[in-house]
Amino acid sequence: MTQLVQALVLGLLIGGVYALMASGLTLIFGVMNIINVAHGALLILVAFLTWKTWSVTGIDPILLAVVMTPLMFGVGWLLYKGVLSRISGSSPGMSVLLTFGIAITIEGILNVTAGNKFRSATPSYFSQSFRILGISLPKAQVYGCIAAVLVLGLLYVVLAKTWTGRAIRATAQNPSGAALIGIQASGVAALAFAIGTATTGVGGSVLSVLYPFFPASHYDWISRLLGIIVLGGMGSLAGALVGAIVLGLAETLTATYVSLQWSTLIFYAVIMIVLLFRPQGLFGSRLRQDVMA
Amino acid sequence: MLTLSGIFAGYGGGDVLQGLDLEVPTGAITCIVGPNGAGKSTVLRVVSGLLRPRLGTIELDGTRLDRLGCAGVLGKGVAQVPQSQALFPQMSIRENVLLGGFTLRRDKRLLNQRFERVADLIPIVRERSHDKAGNLSGGQRRMVEIARCLMVEPTVLLLDEPSLGLDPMSLTGVSQLVRDANAAGTTVLLVEQNVRLGLSMATHGVVLEGGRVRLEAPAHELMANPEVAELYLGGAPATHGAGAHPTVPQPVDSGTVG
Repeated sequence: MTQLVQALVLGLLIGGVYALMASGLTLIFGVMNIINVAHGALLILVAFLTWKTWSVTGIDPILLAVVMTPLMFGVGWLLYKGVLSRISGSSPGMSVLLTFGIAITIEGILNVTAGNKFRSATPSYFSQSFRILGISLPKAQVYGCIAAVLVLGLLYVVLAKTWTGRAIRATAQNPSGAALIGIQASGVAALAFAIGTATTGVGGSVLSVLYPFFPASHYDWISRLLGIIVLGGMGSLAGALVGAIVLGLAETLTATYVSLQWSTLIFYAVIMIVLLFRPQGLFGSRLRQDVMA
Repeated sequence: MLTLSGIFAGYGGGDVLQGLDLEVPTGAITCIVGPNGAGKSTVLRVVSGLLRPRLGTIELDGTRLDRLGCAGVLGKGVAQVPQSQALFPQMSIRENVLLGGFTLRRDKRLLNQRFERVADLIPIVRERSHDKAGNLSGGQRRMVEIARCLMVEPTVLLLDEPSLGLDPMSLTGVSQLVRDANAAGTTVLLVEQNVRLGLSMATHGVVLEGGRVRLEAPAHELMANPEVAELYLGGAPATHGAGAHPTVPQPVDSGTVG
């Protein structure tokens, strides 16, 4: 029983971190129909920057998210204004091609500047755990999950309670309708892309501690993150959260009771089964207007 | 007075509007009719800023609108209800209507006042406040779209095919809303395929063909015009004057083009 609770708690902690990493990806898709394949590479870029700063200065890698987040907000803004705005209104397929180009450019730069080997930030608490009621909670996972909850909570508040958030959601749901009520679509798109990219600031910092990484790790990460948002419903923040927790639980339960090798396979099997019955994903809702002829 | 002079505009495959000159009198309900492809909806899009004209000028009481973009045009008091799907389907009706006051967002008190006023005027805004807009019927959606536009208390209201897909009951409601808005001082420019309905609501009528104004006259004169009757009213000139009958004409196809 303790083993099951342990696996469930770990699954939730990991799921929270996955949700943090997937939130920006789903936000960007929801607002702009851009499938940002470079999201994984941006996470790895931040992980490298965090690892390097930590190894030189000794500053806590998860705390470095405070610096990385605004930095990545700026990177996101520039990427949108300089590159992605040029394919505004194109099909999502075009965005896959363009952002894949950005991803392999980042991978190439990291290969040249940082070398093609595994890294991992290992702060003092790296191998320590909290023990509560016989359950072991790795400190790094707990801190990572706390960062994830904070960011996701902030994102929710911004999207649901502020005019900026309403403008972002309105543009996501109906760009020309948004224009007609005075929302400047290009400004909102740049802002949404910047916010989505800013989440990699926190996600990458957490990743640098929780998972060993190297430049090409982004392929693995983008596959997982796309799986999460497809499962949850493309563009849905709540869907990303649930999809991420399903992935976290699938991984830990399979690793505990079957074998680590099977954990990812089980997750993709879950995606296939869910999509058979709900092609729109768990949280992709179908409204009256969606089924009207 | 809303004035369009020498407008050329299109979507990349040539100009749809070819030197359009049009004057929309202040305080009037002006209805544009014409065959499919004449450029009726394009007129509204260039006025609202959704489409920038290639040549020509648009002025509202002497102020240029044609280079302002949607937000700028809205700021000058011109709001558009497009042909379809203008709402944000995943948001509640309350949120949709409040978003109509996006440009007033810094004045929370004014925003709430306007919302209450609009909700008094259009009951569905209050009755189904928390329902998602994507779950409304076509007629209900149109009501909410108009409600959203009224949040800015527009001086000019642009309506694209207000009758599209509506049953007779909804048509009555929408027609009444248009008349009420006009009675409150709003200039209305509407595009309508249902010529009989459009002209019966309007005080002025415009026939558009090939991106230019072919005929322009008081609506009741246009309805009595044999050429218009032949082309758009099924051959029989209307027997009643425009605006004299607030009830919606029978929804028969004879008054519909295309």
